[in-house]
Amino acid sequence: MRGMLRVAALACAVTIAIQTTGSTGHASVQDPLVALEAALQAAPDDIKAGNDYRMAVIKASQYDRAIAFFEKLTTAHPGASNAHLNYGFAYVDKIPAAGAITQVILANNALGEFTKSLDLKKSWIAYYTRGNSYLFWPRIFDRTQRGIDDLTEALKIQQAEPKRAIHARVYVALGDGYWKIGKLAEATRFWKEGLAAFPDHAGLQGRLSTEGDAQQKLIEANYDPAKRVDTSLADLWSTR
Amino acid sequence: MRTTMRLASLALVVTVAGSALTAAPAPPASIKFEEIAKKAGVQFRHNTRRFPGKTGDVLRMFTSGGSSVAVADYDNDGFEDMFVTDSAEGKTSRLYRNNGNMTFTDVSATTGVGGGNDPLSIVADALWFDYDNDGWKDLMIIRFGTPLLYHNEKGKAFTDVSKKTGLTKFGNTIAAMAFDYDNDGKLDLLFGNYFKPENLLELKSPHVLPNDLDNAVNGGGVTLWKGDGAGAWVETTDKAGFTKHTGWTLDVGHGDFDNDGLQDIYLAVDYGPDKLYFNKGDGTFLDATDKGIGPDTRKGMNVDVGDYNNDGWLDVYVTNITDEYMKECNMLWHNNRDRTFTDLSRETGTCETLWGWAAKFGDYDNDGLLDIFVVNGLRSAGPENYIPVLVELITKPGVDFTDVRGWPNIGNMTWSGYQKKKFLRNLDGQTFKEISAEAGVDNDKDGRGLGVGDFDNDGRLDFYQSNADQDSLFYRNVTTGAGHWLELKLEGTKSNRDAIGARVTVQTATRKWIREVDGGNGYAGQSSTRLHFGLGADDKIVSIQIKWPSGATQSATAPIDKITTIREAASPAAR
Repeated sequence: MRGMLRVAALACAVTIAIQTTGSTGHASVQDPLVALEAALQAAPDDIKAGNDYRMAVIKASQYDRAIAFFEKLTTAHPGASNAHLNYGFAYVDKIPAAGAITQVILANNALGEFTKSLDLKKSWIAYYTRGNSYLFWPRIFDRTQRGIDDLTEALKIQQAEPKRAIHARVYVALGDGYWKIGKLAEATRFWKEGLAAFPDHAGLQGRLSTEGDAQQKLIEANYDPAKRVDTSLADLWSTR
Repeated sequence: MRTTMRLASLALVVTVAGSALTAAPAPPASIKFEEIAKKAGVQFRHNTRRFPGKTGDVLRMFTSGGSSVAVADYDNDGFEDMFVTDSAEGKTSRLYRNNGNMTFTDVSATTGVGGGNDPLSIVADALWFDYDNDGWKDLMIIRFGTPLLYHNEKGKAFTDVSKKTGLTKFGNTIAAMAFDYDNDGKLDLLFGNYFKPENLLELKSPHVLPNDLDNAVNGGGVTLWKGDGAGAWVETTDKAGFTKHTGWTLDVGHGDFDNDGLQDIYLAVDYGPDKLYFNKGDGTFLDATDKGIGPDTRKGMNVDVGDYNNDGWLDVYVTNITDEYMKECNMLWHNNRDRTFTDLSRETGTCETLWGWAAKFGDYDNDGLLDIFVVNGLRSAGPENYIPVLVELITKPGVDFTDVRGWPNIGNMTWSGYQKKKFLRNLDGQTFKEISAEAGVDNDKDGRGLGVGDFDNDGRLDFYQSNADQDSLFYRNVTTGAGHWLELKLEGTKSNRDAIGARVTVQTATRKWIREVDGGNGYAGQSSTRLHFGLGADDKIVSIQIKWPSGATQSATAPIDKITTIREAASPAAR
């Protein structure tokens, strides 16, 4: 909470700075990422601050800057689990803008940071994130089962917590994981379980209302490295 | 550029295709090919070069090309012949003379053109062109080394004239085209060079591999050579403006993309951005990559040029790699008529052809629309897969990709092998449908080159597929219900004799087509220079207009369903 307030205050300061320099006729205004980086340096484990920063980075297409920033941040604060988590996402955020080989390198780097985050703190988001990221790897790398294992742990955690909208993602991903290894019955079971808990979830509805090639197309579209993955964690602090 | 212009150009495609197709006939029952390599006497097993030492395995993997085919009627008997390359030391390439009945005779030994794989050179490609305008196609052997040139002695023999060419600069040349960039009637040469100019057979430094796998800048670039029409060339790379390109050129292609009468250039570049150049007409080229196609990080493998939607503007098809682990998508560059192109491969269904190599446009069912055949597949070997091994290297922090010693040996592992070939049938000028299995061409060889031509003069395009370290395939077109056709052999007089760069516009009552004579478009495969037009149900030609490289324009007549030779008029009708 303290970190959130700090970011809000800094954002406000940035706005004021822009207005001030604007009135004096200077075209160049203060870089808004600077303030967000300052907020993170003050609270490196603040997951929301990290998320806000990454969202701003995506808008500015400054992926390498974010990667370099998180590298420094996690070096300075190696125990900050959420900094490693956001560092991993910073790599993921760059993937659609990279070439096919670089995408593999970025995805692998992301996986490394997600693992560090999980090693530091066995949280729902850490299990879900790493588990989901394993699903993006083609079958040839034999990583899907590892994804299923992580997602199963995430499911256990969420079943012991009050229900939140973001929990639906685990049902989707678990089903997708089983689908990818050819266990369609298991996949369907998790999608159905998820739909029972979240009856309005479009992703679950879509998977259960299609089959064969249509279902394959629907699922594979979600794991296309050329498409930007929504890495916003805003649902984590959603009250829904 | 690609994204922003897509919608506008799609609308354009729809409009143009819609108007063009109103009179299109119903498609034939099936496009069908019969594989006859053995029966025809042209089945040939290619051998990639083996390199010495501990790095030999990796270098062999990186140089797995060299299997190519070049099509031409070298003896002027009216039937297309073919030259097929080998790459292993001491192995000879093959010249197959067409007997006129879909059988061929190996005349390599008697003609003496099979050599070139010496201890320090590797045959990588071949090119037919009439460099001295004497009416007989000469043969150039493209090498990792320096090229060889054989003068055609009126179809009876060949004389090695390599020493007189001036082409003495070492290059790891993998692609070549003959074209007349200054329209002086003398054929020039553009060489696409893969590695930087260091002889891999006597490696001095291990740092010869790409310095980046998506944006490499340490390749061989291209070299441009201006011909004197007598068998000698001088290098004009720098003057023409190509020295800044230092990428890993894998294929070169040309065409008059802006309809100004000058030949422009597209380069397919591995490990990084393709390049687009417009000919300024003063011996220099404008690098229009940023504005024309934008930067890319893909593995450019092939360039072919054709007007797939019959709008009178040449489009470009480039194969890349779209595999289980790399999702690049090919590029079908739709010409926007303003020196920019929009990639419509996803929209047209031409995006995914696995590990692409050669791809050729051709109206294989004579319905008036250019189809595309794509060969693919890198290395088909044992059950173990090289990809996970490779990814270990790629993801190693701080790894130096250039160092050949750091790459894991491939041994007997498979890497993107056993891939089914892709035949993409043009349905309506805006969408393609994959019909490889129905057409009988879904082989799973490690394809490399394609040479297209009408080898039996029946008006239906056949093709030869060269494969790496495997037997080649020869497909005879046996499509039933194909449309009418027209084939034109052009002979330049003031223009270069091969008429490379000549633009022909054929008009019927309902439709209009353009074709250009090219001098070697397409990876590892030169197709016939005879222009082929599928006419569909149209059985009358309204007009034939030829725009020669000399600038002359000429009207001509020709019967349908026949092969006609048209000679450049001494007194052209117009300029």
